[in-house]
Amino acid sequence: MTMPNQDTPIDLLAIREIFNRQNIMLCFNGPVTAPLIEEIGTALRKHMEGLEESPSAVSDVFSVYIEMAQNIRRYAQAQAFENEASTILISRDAAGHYVISASNVVRHEDGNTLVERIQQLLHLDKEALKAAFKTQLRQPRSSLSGSAGLGLIDMARKATAPLQHSLQTLDNGRALFSLRVIL
Amino acid sequence: MDNLIIAQSPSSPAIAADWHAGVISMRGDSYPENSFELFQPLIDWVEAYLAKAGRPLHLELELVYLNTSSIRSMMDIFDQMEVAHKKGQTVSARWTYEAANERVGQLAEEFCEDCTFPFSIDVKS
Repeated sequence: MTMPNQDTPIDLLAIREIFNRQNIMLCFNGPVTAPLIEEIGTALRKHMEGLEESPSAVSDVFSVYIEMAQNIRRYAQAQAFENEASTILISRDAAGHYVISASNVVRHEDGNTLVERIQQLLHLDKEALKAAFKTQLRQPRSSLSGSAGLGLIDMARKATAPLQHSLQTLDNGRALFSLRVIL
Repeated sequence: MDNLIIAQSPSSPAIAADWHAGVISMRGDSYPENSFELFQPLIDWVEAYLAKAGRPLHLELELVYLNTSSIRSMMDIFDQMEVAHKKGQTVSARWTYEAANERVGQLAEEFCEDCTFPFSIDVKS
């Protein structure tokens, strides 16, 4: 693979064409901070209300976006990965479903744990996901590390298709974890 | 014990807990990054009220969107009320939401399923 020279100008038109082709409504790439999560969330809600989407559709997209962004942020803070760029995309697929995708840098072993958790959820139907949500809701506070541990289950409950995920190895024992939720 | 007032922000609800009236009201969106920190003073207040006030407690909710850690915190409050109810104390909750916001209604229903004290869900027309 040839790496582009750093002096090559960024082809914004080509990037824009990818965004258009993939029907990307909103995209963020960079270190995630709390104020950014809030601002992008507000913009997303306003944009969707402008499209005259149903309040339920707006709520579902907003909710999955918030859970993903806050999961990424919490992990980055805990691992001191705050300067790592994460990516969050909101798009629509050919059938008109909203798709929320995100990727972030993780320690490879943490990525493996996440993949295992998601794979456990893939076998569950909506009733079983609801039961899993309620079980997790009552885990003792002492077993939680500042997070309710509900985000992934909640996303799986809202999704209309199984959660899609990947873990791609980077150097230094790290990996890029990607998650895609189709509503 | 004092009243508890937590001002509303774009990502956190207005919270007012009135010791003499025995009413807690919560209104707005709740998706702060630090939900557990935000709700801890309220959880402590509810604990103190149920232990000392000797009066009924009513929870008046107009919450709109909740992130999962806010859901967890609300569950903790409902659980405190459930324990008090089982000990014979009078507790109740009402959650009012706008008809168009079906998702809030569904969330309120799920909380309600696990509570045996009076819990009404009202649709604002």
